[in-house]
Amino acid sequence: MIQAQSLTKHYGSKTAVDAVDFTVQPGKVTGFLGPNGAGKSTTMRMIVGLDRPSAGSVIVNGKPYHEHKAPLREVGVLLDAKAVHTGRSAYNHLRAMAATHSIPTSRVHEVINLTGLESVAKKRVGGFSLGMGQRLGIAAALLGDPATLILDEPVNGLDPEGVQWVRKLTKQLAAEGRTVLLSSHLMSEMALTADHIIVLGRGRVIADASVADIIASAAQNTVRVRTPHTAALASLLAQADVTITNLEQDVLEINGLTVNEIGDRAAAAQISLHELTAVSASLEDAYMKLTQDEVEYRTGDTHTEAEVAR
Amino acid sequence: MSTVINSTQQAGARTPFVPTGSGLSFIGLLRSEAIKLWTLRSTYWTFSLVVAASFGIAVLMAYAMSAGLDEPATAAMGIDSTGIFVLVATAGLGLGQLIVAVLGVLSISGEYSSGMIKSTLAAVPNRLPALWAKVAVLFSFTFLVGLFSVVGSFLIAIPILGTKDLTASLFDEHVILPLLGNALFLALIAVFAVGIGTIVRSSAGGIATVLGIILLLPTVVGLFSMLVGWVADIMPFLFTMAGAEMITPSTMESWQAFLVVLAWVAVSLGAAAALLKRRDA
Repeated sequence: MIQAQSLTKHYGSKTAVDAVDFTVQPGKVTGFLGPNGAGKSTTMRMIVGLDRPSAGSVIVNGKPYHEHKAPLREVGVLLDAKAVHTGRSAYNHLRAMAATHSIPTSRVHEVINLTGLESVAKKRVGGFSLGMGQRLGIAAALLGDPATLILDEPVNGLDPEGVQWVRKLTKQLAAEGRTVLLSSHLMSEMALTADHIIVLGRGRVIADASVADIIASAAQNTVRVRTPHTAALASLLAQADVTITNLEQDVLEINGLTVNEIGDRAAAAQISLHELTAVSASLEDAYMKLTQDEVEYRTGDTHTEAEVAR
Repeated sequence: MSTVINSTQQAGARTPFVPTGSGLSFIGLLRSEAIKLWTLRSTYWTFSLVVAASFGIAVLMAYAMSAGLDEPATAAMGIDSTGIFVLVATAGLGLGQLIVAVLGVLSISGEYSSGMIKSTLAAVPNRLPALWAKVAVLFSFTFLVGLFSVVGSFLIAIPILGTKDLTASLFDEHVILPLLGNALFLALIAVFAVGIGTIVRSSAGGIATVLGIILLLPTVVGLFSMLVGWVADIMPFLFTMAGAEMITPSTMESWQAFLVVLAWVAVSLGAAAALLKRRDA
């Protein structure tokens, strides 16, 4: 379990994390989302004492991280793939890490097998691909068989098989009663993996709820209608609280009316419909809606960029 | 037989996981740092270079001395045969000092440049035990390599200088004490460099700083002493000079010089510890 209380981090005049409160429960996979620069990595670093909070506190499994007698058995952390000396082999890196807690070499072999690193374990880490580096980072996080796992973008650079493996692994670890905190920018993957979501934006918690609740919050009753008579249908349905967008020549997207209402009215006016679909929100939609005002580094509008280029 | 997924059983398994097994220990940290030291190729070639430089220069000097030597000349210089042996056996260690200084800086700056430091400090959140373990391991192995170099060089010199009927016993206190002193100073240079590497956190900056203190500082202070007389009094208190006085005392006693050397190491490691504890990794 991870408990943060008014956790704050300033870098000079910039506030990276702004008095956040949250609890990460054991037995669940908790997704940690937010735009670049939202403070996710900084928060994760503060949990394991790599960065010192400017104010507030964070405790893991009941104590500040540095007060634990066996830190690697409490928390396994993957911060980024580059927390390894490039001149050392994966096997020797894990052996050096294991030695600090007198973890037997048999466990080193176990995590190497578990992460599929057997064939490259004796090679120097400098030559590793991004995916291999991630696997090594996950192996190091699992070394102490820890009660809490903190994984910063673990699927970054992994092949589809690896992505699926991380999903199964994290779910299994959570099912064993462990605390799993996971960040990722892949929303579809997060929707499949996480039970609970914490969204950060500009250093603040902007959502902390179950995946179902987060998605429900973004549901807007959007209905997609395909009809050859778009103009007639649009004028028929036009009213104050309804927005109608003409997506394609024969497709309308309608907010504010249910599928039943649209179907009944169209039938009454004898307008033929070729498609009538309720568009359900995805985690990605919900996330975009939540963070639309919180994005620190926004990409330029592609439309204007194209015009400038011209 | 069909498989039924039992949802209540899954829910029942969700009691918090309790970790078990061995914890952090200083012995474990020493073992970890020894593994780190000996699993990098650079360690092998830097230590090999220290030994090779020592042996090589010992051979050269031994031949040079036995060729150009005659009894009255050495008598005039005030050097007896044990003095010649010590000179030959330790001549190459000056180069070794520069090599282990680089090794000391790299042992910690390499962790910063590669990101390894995050793994190290996440495993040892109180941080200082990790630094002390690194210092202890590097000190021990550098001392052993230094001792092997000077004793080996001494043994190499025996047959060469023997052609001029010069002899000395390794266990003569005028031989073994200077040899031990040289190995000790070599190890303390490595440890001093670990401190500087921790303070500076970069390989280039750390190496420049350490070599500046070892090589450049005596020259600069020497030049100043020609302009300002009292500056000459500082000379014996420089790291390199104190290290030399530790072995061949001239302006102060051996133990006093040793304290000066320890003070340099203490300042370097003290600042390193304070910064390591305070800074974000």
